[in-house]
Amino acid sequence: MKQMIMALALVFLVLGTAGGTSGAAPASGEPIRIGAISSLTGSFATFGSMERAGYALAVDDINTAGGLNGRPLVIDLQDDTSSANTALTVAEQFINSGVPLILGAYSSSVTKPLAVYMARQRVPLLNSNSADDSITKPGSDYVFRVGQNTDAYVKPFFALFKQLGTIKTIAILVSNNALGHSVENSLLTQAKDGGYPVVFDQAYDEGLTDFRPVLNRIKDTGADVLAMSSYEADAVALMRQIKEVNLNAKIFAGAGATGFAIPSFLKGGGDTVEYVITSAAWSPDVHYPKAHELFARLKAFMGGAEPSYHAIRAYAGATVAADALRRAATLSPEGIRAALQTTSLTTPFGTVEFKDFSGFHNQNPLPSILMQVQHRAYVTVWPLDVAVGKVIYPTPVWTARK
Amino acid sequence: MVEFIQIVVNGIFTGGVYAIIGIGLSLIFGVMRIVNFAHGVFLVVGMFTTLFFFERLHVDPFLVIPLVVLVGGLLGVIVERSLLEPIARAPEHASILMTVGIGLVLSNVLLFTFGDAPQIINTRYSTSTWHLGPITFSTALTISFFLTVVVISGLALLLGRTDLGRAIRAAAQNADAAELQGINTRRVRSLVFGMGFALAALAGALLLPQLFAHPSIGPTYTLKAFIVTVLGGMGNVAGAIGGGLLLGITESLGAAYVSSSYRDVFGLAAFLLVLLLRPAGLFGRSRT
Repeated sequence: MKQMIMALALVFLVLGTAGGTSGAAPASGEPIRIGAISSLTGSFATFGSMERAGYALAVDDINTAGGLNGRPLVIDLQDDTSSANTALTVAEQFINSGVPLILGAYSSSVTKPLAVYMARQRVPLLNSNSADDSITKPGSDYVFRVGQNTDAYVKPFFALFKQLGTIKTIAILVSNNALGHSVENSLLTQAKDGGYPVVFDQAYDEGLTDFRPVLNRIKDTGADVLAMSSYEADAVALMRQIKEVNLNAKIFAGAGATGFAIPSFLKGGGDTVEYVITSAAWSPDVHYPKAHELFARLKAFMGGAEPSYHAIRAYAGATVAADALRRAATLSPEGIRAALQTTSLTTPFGTVEFKDFSGFHNQNPLPSILMQVQHRAYVTVWPLDVAVGKVIYPTPVWTARK
Repeated sequence: MVEFIQIVVNGIFTGGVYAIIGIGLSLIFGVMRIVNFAHGVFLVVGMFTTLFFFERLHVDPFLVIPLVVLVGGLLGVIVERSLLEPIARAPEHASILMTVGIGLVLSNVLLFTFGDAPQIINTRYSTSTWHLGPITFSTALTISFFLTVVVISGLALLLGRTDLGRAIRAAAQNADAAELQGINTRRVRSLVFGMGFALAALAGALLLPQLFAHPSIGPTYTLKAFIVTVLGGMGNVAGAIGGGLLLGITESLGAAYVSSSYRDVFGLAAFLLVLLLRPAGLFGRSRT
């Protein structure tokens, strides 16, 4: 079963590689193979399928445009079954087979141990989608992150709170995992800096699906903001039960993006997710070159399904890898690591540069945006220079909604 | 006080569904002496069967329950006849390994058929509520609790008042003696396994409108079923009801007043305490 899915994934990638040979000077010669680890099955499979699409389209584009100095790029994508142990086994196999660079993984809880392992093996790991601060803080010389960390996810919320002016208290409810705790820490630090008392702070066990007891407690605190971080199914279950217990906050915040910022959140949550504000790494509204075009192409590539920012970030990750491979003096782990460090690239996802700042190491300092669910669609509302709609505030109480 | 009552009410409602899961496991253990490690997966099969009818036929999930129960019952009988009956005389661990295997195969079939994304359905009442004074009731939970009461009462009547029920109880007490009395225990075993599967599938159908379905969540429910069964006493159907309610209330209170990140701890702690202090279960009598 798993092998079958992996085989399908491989076929998919190889087809992706061979597909776009209509360009001017397609790559030929001996291919350069790098590894990629993602969650193609298991609880993070939805996100893994986004990464797979992003990688596949990127490989397609890179090879159509001449590949890596004439040689085609092959991304060998393997499944970690949403488990850290499997990811480590796959990484070991990759390294034993001489792969000089690995992309991935998806989830913070998988990437954290993977990053430690890769640093020990002295092979560079290029991560696109894991947000846990501790992956690049303190980080290592061999771990590079293209995507935003949780500090960056949380930051625009506090800028918004400041502008709104009438926010006083914050309640925090996060899933009990690497991402959740990193979001929780970012929220606590930034709430303290901004002078917002945190009146409730709890983690819940993943797979717990009766949130009513804890939501009733939050209701009693009367917090202005309920900031949450969850993966896919929990985010919808939370919003449904928030409506059910009639918990009213001025802002329902998806502070860790992820489950609150994917198309299935809109579909599964129906009218309960209206007005939710979520941070997000990217939307087609950002002012980066070819952003809208890439979104449309990814959508077509995915057979009409809406891509989330995870697909875009995976695309950016593959583009950054290709850029480093082109510039690397040697195609060894050390050569590629040195090339990655001097990356300065503008992608449709945004500018990618690996910087050291406030305790982070090899972290791309890209800001996040905020999107609000309005009429069952994501509308970019922050920062103001990329916003296409206004924040609806405060969130109407449940009894006043149709 | 209102908050406390609200939390207990939620616990009772959730506990009702736990009871249905536990009863099936208890029934199977009582009659067949099989610890069914696939029980949670049976529940997930029920969820996906409901999902299938809901999405293909566009029928309300609560209306397809008879169909789901029927499918569950049939699958149970087929599984028992083809996989468990042939090893009925084998040592105990054979049946345990067999049920583990059945669970693995079923969950992978679901994975292959329905894909790996969590499936959520939206019904009119998924988020609607009604009120009794200051206490809020979830409509979906209320309907499922009502159905739980109906099913458990029906089951009690079946076991207590009918010939079939008497045959089942006789087979549970002493299979050889029952056989000597002219009871076809082979048929009883198939029926009981079918009923166990059907009850688990029913629980899945009841849970779907409020939760989500995913092929890999089976073991979570198997664990819950074990806790309920041990609390109530292995093989004790009435005890499973008490065990289910107790687990629901304990989890609810623990999540509200201690911490929701330790929710499962409360159930498991109760499980260990009962195993240590009252191995026959809170409501159980020793069988030997």
